[in-house]
Amino acid sequence: MKKIYLHPLPIRIWHWVNALGFIILILTGAQIRFGNVIHLFSFETAVDIHSWTGFILIANYCIWLFYYLVTGNIKIYIPPLHHPIEFAKKAVTQAKFYGLGIMVGDQNPHHSTFDHKFNPMQQVSYLMIMAALIPVQIITGLFLWDPNLFGPIVNLIGGIQIADMIHVLLFIFFSAFIIVHFYLATLGHTPMAHIIAMFTGYEEEHEEHGHGREEEHGHSQGH
Amino acid sequence: MNKRKKILIPLILVFMIVPVYLYAAKGVLSDDAQMCLGCHSNKDMTKQLENKEILSLFINGDRFADSIHNATGCGGCHTDISMENHPQVQKVKSKKEYSANNSKTCAMCHMEDQLKQKPMHGYLVTKAKSISCSECHGAHYIKSIKEWKGGLNEPQYCLACHKYDLSMPLSSGELLHLSVNESAMKASVHGKLSCGACHMEFSKTDHPMRTFKNKKEYTATAMKACTICHTDAQLRKNPAHSALMAKASCVECHGSHAIKGISAQKATAPETQYCLSCHKSKLSMTMKNGESLSIYVDEAGLKKSAHRSLQCANCHIGFTKSAHPVRSFKSTRDYSLFSISNVCKKCHANASTQYEGSIHYSLLNSGNPKAPACADCHGGAHSVASVKNNKSIGLTSCNKCHGDMNSSYEVSIHGKAWGKGNQTAPICSSCHNAHNIESTKMTTKIKDGCLKCHKDTEKVHNKWLSNPPITLPSFARTHFDVASCAACHSPMAGRVIYLSLYDRKTGKPLPEEDLLKALETDSNGLMTKIDTNADGSMDAKEVWDLFAQLYKKDVTTTFMGKMDVSKATEAHMISGKAEATKDCEKCHHPQAEFFKDVFIVLKKADGKPTVLNAKKEVLNSIYTILPARKFYALGSTNIKLFDILFIVALIGGIAVPIGHITLRIITSPLRSMRKMGKGGKK
Repeated sequence: MKKIYLHPLPIRIWHWVNALGFIILILTGAQIRFGNVIHLFSFETAVDIHSWTGFILIANYCIWLFYYLVTGNIKIYIPPLHHPIEFAKKAVTQAKFYGLGIMVGDQNPHHSTFDHKFNPMQQVSYLMIMAALIPVQIITGLFLWDPNLFGPIVNLIGGIQIADMIHVLLFIFFSAFIIVHFYLATLGHTPMAHIIAMFTGYEEEHEEHGHGREEEHGHSQGH
Repeated sequence: MNKRKKILIPLILVFMIVPVYLYAAKGVLSDDAQMCLGCHSNKDMTKQLENKEILSLFINGDRFADSIHNATGCGGCHTDISMENHPQVQKVKSKKEYSANNSKTCAMCHMEDQLKQKPMHGYLVTKAKSISCSECHGAHYIKSIKEWKGGLNEPQYCLACHKYDLSMPLSSGELLHLSVNESAMKASVHGKLSCGACHMEFSKTDHPMRTFKNKKEYTATAMKACTICHTDAQLRKNPAHSALMAKASCVECHGSHAIKGISAQKATAPETQYCLSCHKSKLSMTMKNGESLSIYVDEAGLKKSAHRSLQCANCHIGFTKSAHPVRSFKSTRDYSLFSISNVCKKCHANASTQYEGSIHYSLLNSGNPKAPACADCHGGAHSVASVKNNKSIGLTSCNKCHGDMNSSYEVSIHGKAWGKGNQTAPICSSCHNAHNIESTKMTTKIKDGCLKCHKDTEKVHNKWLSNPPITLPSFARTHFDVASCAACHSPMAGRVIYLSLYDRKTGKPLPEEDLLKALETDSNGLMTKIDTNADGSMDAKEVWDLFAQLYKKDVTTTFMGKMDVSKATEAHMISGKAEATKDCEKCHHPQAEFFKDVFIVLKKADGKPTVLNAKKEVLNSIYTILPARKFYALGSTNIKLFDILFIVALIGGIAVPIGHITLRIITSPLRSMRKMGKGGKK
């Protein structure tokens, strides 16, 4: 077994703060929206927690962005668009793995390293989430936080009901996504492998996947 | 014979001697009179009366000797004076009192029957007691009536009485003044005419007693004299004068005894006075539709008004002392519209422009006869009160039409403060504005009126409107933008949601004319066109259809939402802040109490709103996201379809792992076999 260093400390902190924040936002958002069926908090408490958490996650997002821009490692989110066919093939291969290969005992075609952390499907979805969906959710969240303050911009996008529509649709997406994301996190070589890696920074990998990787990327540590 | 001689001789003596005696006696003063004149012939002899008047005590002995009473002597009339007690200090208040007291002695010789022989004289003596004998007839130089009349010309004779403050009560209770200012009359254009030239039934020998129902009847009678000299053709030469003749009598404008020549009047009278010479009379003007417009100007009111320093022509353009165009208007409304644009706006441009954007102007413009124009609130064009000094105009004038609102205002915290004399307390105009008044259902501007006084409102509301991590003033404004102040501060009121149709291009409510034109219908067909299922209530699909139909006709609209009280009267029942609603869930809850009743509001041509029932679903439908995209309330305008989508997404999110795990469980023998195969190979 080898341990590959995948998640530096700032990213691990960002991830868990983000994870906790997302859960809180989803719960308080649901409370605000479904006050007639959910009774976890009062409306005022739900709004207060939602607003505080929202701003914490804005700061958290900024930390994430700052870290990846400064280290230059933001490239791990960027698909190799200069090789689109090859990338598409890999994506199909990855999808086949999750849909079929994993059932029949195939090995995961993607082998994570520090500089090549995401498989093609993760790369596309995380890029979309981090570069588009979360910023949009942050902006629409700010619009809803104080519609009068952002009035002119809100009007540019069509009105506060439009901002709410976008925010709610993304809320729905993230609610579903986080379930799937959690499930996918259990699809390591052991159910807890990815989760433990997100705490320790190190992902365990079978020997058969480790040949030559440490030389290639220089961040894996053999045990 | 002797007996006859005895009778004739004395008679002859009487007829011969008495005239000779009387002739000899004429011009001869008695001894006591001469004694009195010893002092009273002094021209400087005067007495100051209690009212500071100076009473001359000088008697012209020669003229007295010529008077009809010379033989009576002084004591004949001055019965209270004798040489034993004279002079003595006698207190006299005024010449009037002195004259009245001394005139009492006339009745000693002139019996009442004699004085009543002439009915007019009888009236003066018995009923019109305002003048005494000596005031008309004089005191010491009285001549016989015949001689007196012969010595005076007609005006002098008439003025002997009419120079005094005489009046005559009419059947209507009015008092007809009969006094004539001698100097004014002499200076008048008619100064050289005798009284009888106009008062044709009257002369030095004839003074009929007349009775009149009222002044109008009197002036109608009196003005007949005018037409003797002033021909109808002459009078009707000026169209304005011709029109005026049907409304007013000559004397109402020109006066009676002090009439000046028109050219002299124009040259000397200030413009306002010249105009008032006619317009001080209760004149009116008939509109083409038969309505009557008062063109009377209350001079006293004008002098007190904010416009007192203006000349008439400042407002009434085209009218001068030499020009009086004849104008006609369809109706009083037509005249009001003309006045706003051409008169008031000249100086009050801002207020007029604001007014032209108001519901009152729309109502007026659409032909509502009750709609107020400038003068209706400001107390008449000629008695305009300065608003600076009379703030209450913003309450009292509104109550003329909106009196039903006053009772609810009076019980409010504002009404109570105003009732206690607090001049800073808000009245109608403080919140609704004075001129740019809009339908309360179509505007959120009323809050501006509240914020004029409640300057720290944002700060105060942010004490409980929490929006962490930092609650900005704009967060309070977010609420003010869509909720009227009364919606929270009138705790007893019902609350509803109004969705008002606005034109996005103008930013103003879409006028009904534009709406009808775009929908190709008329007012009667509007409901059929928009309430397609004819259930009397707009549902979300109907709102969308209306929005889409307008969009196709290039009329881009939006429904501006507002939470307000359900009845206008409730809006005025503002209570103290301790009783205001602070429960967020009254609004922010899927079943929010304040969001149960929804109405669609359309602006009619006259500015009034048409309020249509709407189903609550219009706030929660995918159909209304675009039409009402500017109205949103956390928790209560949730789109139901998204709620369903959320449930589907959650189910889908859970189904993916469950499905995947299930497949993995099912396929685990395959993996075991493969693993074993691989192991076998090893």
